[in-house]
Amino acid sequence: MTDTATRGRLLSPAIRLAGGDCACAACGHVLGPAADPWKHHAVRRETPLATAGGHGWDTGDDAVLLRQFFCPGCAALLDTETAMQGDPPLIDRLAGA
Amino acid sequence: MDPMTFSIIRHRLFRIVDEAVITLKHVSGSAITNEGHDLMVSLYRADGTLLMGGVGFLHHLTSAAEACKAIIRRFAGDIHEGDVFLLNDPYTAALHTSDIYLVAPIHHDGRLVAWSACFVHVTDIGAMNPGGFAPQAVDIFTEGFSSPGIRLVHKGEMRQDVLDTILNMVRSPEMVSLDLRSMIACNNVARDRMQALMAKYGAEAVDTACARLIEQSETLLRARLRELPDGQWQSRQYLDVNGTTARVVLTMTKQDDRLVFDFTGSDPQSPFSINCTKWASLGGLFAPLFPLLCYDITWNEGVIRPIEMIAPEGTIVNCTRPAPVSVATVGAIQSVNNAACTTIGKMLAASDKYREEATAVWHANHFAIFKFGRNQKGGYSIGILTETFAGAGGARSFADGVEIGGEIPNPISRMANVETVEGAFPIRYLFRRRAPDSGGPGMYRGGTGGEMALVAHKAPDGGIDYVISGKGARHPMSEGLAGGWPGAPNSYVWVKAPERGNTPAAAAGLDDIPGTAERVSWGVFPLKGHDALYVRWNGGGGFGDPIARDPDRVAADVAAGLVSADSARAIYGVALADGAVDAAATAALRAGIRQDRLAGGMVQ
Repeated sequence: MTDTATRGRLLSPAIRLAGGDCACAACGHVLGPAADPWKHHAVRRETPLATAGGHGWDTGDDAVLLRQFFCPGCAALLDTETAMQGDPPLIDRLAGA
Repeated sequence: MDPMTFSIIRHRLFRIVDEAVITLKHVSGSAITNEGHDLMVSLYRADGTLLMGGVGFLHHLTSAAEACKAIIRRFAGDIHEGDVFLLNDPYTAALHTSDIYLVAPIHHDGRLVAWSACFVHVTDIGAMNPGGFAPQAVDIFTEGFSSPGIRLVHKGEMRQDVLDTILNMVRSPEMVSLDLRSMIACNNVARDRMQALMAKYGAEAVDTACARLIEQSETLLRARLRELPDGQWQSRQYLDVNGTTARVVLTMTKQDDRLVFDFTGSDPQSPFSINCTKWASLGGLFAPLFPLLCYDITWNEGVIRPIEMIAPEGTIVNCTRPAPVSVATVGAIQSVNNAACTTIGKMLAASDKYREEATAVWHANHFAIFKFGRNQKGGYSIGILTETFAGAGGARSFADGVEIGGEIPNPISRMANVETVEGAFPIRYLFRRRAPDSGGPGMYRGGTGGEMALVAHKAPDGGIDYVISGKGARHPMSEGLAGGWPGAPNSYVWVKAPERGNTPAAAAGLDDIPGTAERVSWGVFPLKGHDALYVRWNGGGGFGDPIARDPDRVAADVAAGLVSADSARAIYGVALADGAVDAAATAALRAGIRQDRLAGGMVQ
């Protein structure tokens, strides 16, 4: 049996699809049915980019956000986006999920 | 055809392009071509389809194919051996007016058998702002000379009336003349070598090999696509221009052996010159596709066949005439390129076999700064700050990005020596170095970008002026992958010297330059008196969770000045004591960061 068959497919290095669910690749915490966008089941934090890091991140505009998605189980950072307030999250899907 | 002959012809085609590139650089006299490598040379079949894509800016490979086809349509029945045609109209095929295509037919025994095409960013094109990028342009009519196709050389003879007309419309005619002649020389070499190849193997054999090469590329790419997972991936880019923000939105769908890039949802075309035409968007998405999916496949028409692009008309990625497009190459085209890099990277990262080919976005944000004015020798100089080509590598699933490591769409890009710039312009560099904290944090860190500051020096007019088309100071554009952060955004600062101040001889960084800092991004500004211009360019995107990064690597980054101690602590959760990792304090810091993540976040 192949590694993929036993452990499921990866949507990304941080997200695994197995048994009809999305799960954190690090801890296996289930992030909802595979057919759903997993980001809807993650912990989301939005921070003005200007305050996210050091001097280099000061964009001079608090409306520019660093959007981070964390695993509710192990707090691993699963994905990031830069976004403006209200813009929808980016959704990635594998066919047949 | 026997495999040996096929392989020999294939390799000869590669070498023909390489030799033509060398010729272009040897004849050209401009830093943007010689040192920035803002150029491209490629070969096309008799019908204009891409035969052999060369190096240089890859987003030109498909556009130059369209330029060949436009010339074939316009001059049908009137194309002769020794002709050279010029085309730079963005609504016909070009990316923007200052990237001129010279397209030349290649004949064998009196029959048209192929084309060669090349481009350079000419020193000037007569746009309302010097250098070709025209942030103040309101339409294509203010972006300089624009031709949908004109014969520059007729049967081997320069059409002096045409050349003189072009040179009469530009600011630096002697340099533009040299730019054009470098491209003619380049095409001449490509033609001579192609003719020699056909003389040796026969035109039919070469054509058969070319057709087979295209078939081979299509077969190989389709096979690779079938190995990759079917699915849909999204990305988004923000372009901030003059206080406005425009979005490029991409959904990439991969099914079996086909890829569809759909830009539906992108913003309407902009009043500013960041727009691009559909040919430019097509080139933009192919620029990362060639190296990321076809690194071992010949870049030709076969690679194009499995790909479809949807770009709604009237949007920033398929603007309608007469929308201004002169900043397209560092505007919407680059965002298309970045967006495609992200979606392709996500698809590769979802594959066990190809995960190591995945990359976060490299150097996503060119800054086009053209200096112009009277130089220290009394002449007039126009030229770009080639640091915009220096770039920064995106992180991958197994390694950090390369510091100041170039960019995906131009595998040979680089920057000029400081001395080259100081020799041509009345300016002095206060510093030029890697920019701390610019690489996107991650388990694998994005490569750092750079920073520099310039002052006027021995300028007969007290300094010079510069045109800046500087988006990307508000939105980071080098997206991270799998939890990696984006690279830090660009920064453009005019440091106004204090009254009765002196021009500093050197500086350790922005904070070390005396004066008042004012952000600049779009338009024409002076670099005069004791004032300074500070520029920082973006780093590459990171890969993976920053608190999963090996603490010793973070310590090494801090020691090398690539990451600040504050970022090491706040972003990477690494505590240092006398430069070494404090393991217990680091574990506690990282536990605290995990706790904060769950406490402070919003569960949807």
